[in-house]
Amino acid sequence: KRPIRFIQSASLTFATSGGSKEEALLLSAWQRSHPRVTKTQPLTPAMYRTAAKRLLGAGFTTSRLLRLPKPRPTTIIPFSYCTSSMNHTESPIGNQSVNPNQSDPTAAREEGHRRDESRKPRAEFEEEQARVLAASLRHVPRLGWTEEAMIAGSRDVGVSPSIVGSFSRKEAALVEYFMDECLQLLIDRVDSGLDLQNLIPSERVSKLVRIRLEMQIPYMSKWPQALSIQAHPVNVPTSFKQRAMLVDEIWHTVGDGASDLDWYVKRTVLGGVYSTTEIYMLTDDSPEYRDTWAFLDDRVKDAFDLKKSIQEAKYFAQDIGAGVGKSFQGLMNGVMQTMSTRGGRSSAF
Amino acid sequence: MALRYLSSRMTLGSRILSYRSSLASLHSHATSFGFQQVREEEKSKLVGNVFTNVASSYDIMNDVMSAGLHRLWKERLVGKLSPFAGMKHLDVAGGTGDVAFRIFDAFNSVKRRALRKVDEASHEETQIYVCDINPNMLNVGKQRAAERGLSDNRSLVWVEGDAEALSFDDNSMDGYTIAFGIRNVTHIEKAIAEAYRVLKRGGRFLCLELSHVDIPVFKELYDLYSFQVIPNLGELIAGDRDSYQYLVESVRRFPPQERFAKMIGDAGFEKVEYENLVGGVVAIHSAIKL
Repeated sequence: KRPIRFIQSASLTFATSGGSKEEALLLSAWQRSHPRVTKTQPLTPAMYRTAAKRLLGAGFTTSRLLRLPKPRPTTIIPFSYCTSSMNHTESPIGNQSVNPNQSDPTAAREEGHRRDESRKPRAEFEEEQARVLAASLRHVPRLGWTEEAMIAGSRDVGVSPSIVGSFSRKEAALVEYFMDECLQLLIDRVDSGLDLQNLIPSERVSKLVRIRLEMQIPYMSKWPQALSIQAHPVNVPTSFKQRAMLVDEIWHTVGDGASDLDWYVKRTVLGGVYSTTEIYMLTDDSPEYRDTWAFLDDRVKDAFDLKKSIQEAKYFAQDIGAGVGKSFQGLMNGVMQTMSTRGGRSSAF
Repeated sequence: MALRYLSSRMTLGSRILSYRSSLASLHSHATSFGFQQVREEEKSKLVGNVFTNVASSYDIMNDVMSAGLHRLWKERLVGKLSPFAGMKHLDVAGGTGDVAFRIFDAFNSVKRRALRKVDEASHEETQIYVCDINPNMLNVGKQRAAERGLSDNRSLVWVEGDAEALSFDDNSMDGYTIAFGIRNVTHIEKAIAEAYRVLKRGGRFLCLELSHVDIPVFKELYDLYSFQVIPNLGELIAGDRDSYQYLVESVRRFPPQERFAKMIGDAGFEKVEYENLVGGVVAIHSAIKL
């Protein structure tokens, strides 16, 4: 009983600290099937990464669909590479398994769906929606992130523009689709042999953020509109999730070996760097955005310095804690010994 | 794992049983006139009589029975539809034109007119077809159009027709709405099949209908209101108790939300969803043809 309660409490604290309840439950279900793993290692954020990737892969928000059976937490996660991530040999295995599934945003769902034919209709209209959104992106520089762009996109695909009415939060769907596509492109770029070996971590981060921001250049004139759409309270949960995944992916590619608090700090800091650079880029009119890249390099350097100072502060705190703890421990031991010698065999302790 | 379990439960025998029971309930809709049993051929005549009688006071009674809420429901329906310029829309059983006028207004608001310049592909005109089986209801609608000064407008077209056998071409409509009408159709599945036929690829089907309430206390209050208050209002205001008795009974006989959604899915529609308004008193079912 005790290990299960530990898992549930761990997953609950995990859920409150940032993961969604669904993911926490999923991870606890996974852990229950791997008892050996649970007893030796607690829940780490590294597991969250691969788990989140499986669940949030396509990033589509779906409304209540009647043809769809209950949500499928356990069928999609392939347990094999969750365990591999536990051993932190992430890069080759993680990337290989990520690649074939995420080459098509709906493939992650379809993989689980090939087993059950009744899910095929759902994948079909989602594919259609994805096609309309892809076609709409071509009209965005001219028409903005608006319904009109989506109507034009649907005409390109040969579908009645009425389908635009079926997207929940229409313009947001287009922006979110774009964000997912960019993330996918980034992952593909990385997998197809981006040379990061000769660079120090801060330069790697710089390069990855630069690659990602360059994807937005064609839409730069309308990007402020996209940002404002993402900032609407209705859309914030999804846009936040997408940015978290992006930042997670960048750190993972850089070769992150973090754990516990450091993981969150790193993501938050990089999230800040990315957002500020993105906003700086909006008003940058230097040739080829040179000023933006210089700004980015400076911010990343600051972040790494900050990281060092945080780490030093942490070690300092640990040392102090250890020192205090040791003295307290010594005191308690002394007390116990005197009590046992004085109290004799009938001591309650 | 739960799915595998379910599929093994559905043996051949139980599948036939469920098919038969769904057939039986559809058949029962076709032969029910409220809580009475009638022959299939008679039903459409009886319904026709009901609407001939109520046509002149239809709008007033709607306002009184729903305390004006029906306007909000129709607004919500049109909002979900999200009309666009150049759209071909069909509103079935839309006799007095409530939904059609709202869609028309949505096209012609200032914002839309400004944006119309941007969308070059919409050289075709928007067309809203209002179809109703009962000529009296259509006349009321035409009268209201005249009051608004729209009697000569080319966008609104009033057509007399049967929801089960529409006179429009295949794949010709961008949108299909039916507000408070599908309950009165003799064969619901035929109406849905016709909707599927006339819609273009990507076209949307939207159905606003009185539906079933499941919330415990509210359900009792709603039943009380339906069976005690409404027929009396009908007698008082429209002078016709029986028609309104038919109305509230037919609501109870109509399939509940989930089953109706399944019927829509069976006709071939994708992404079938429904939204309950006022706890289930009204439901908007929506679907896409792909």
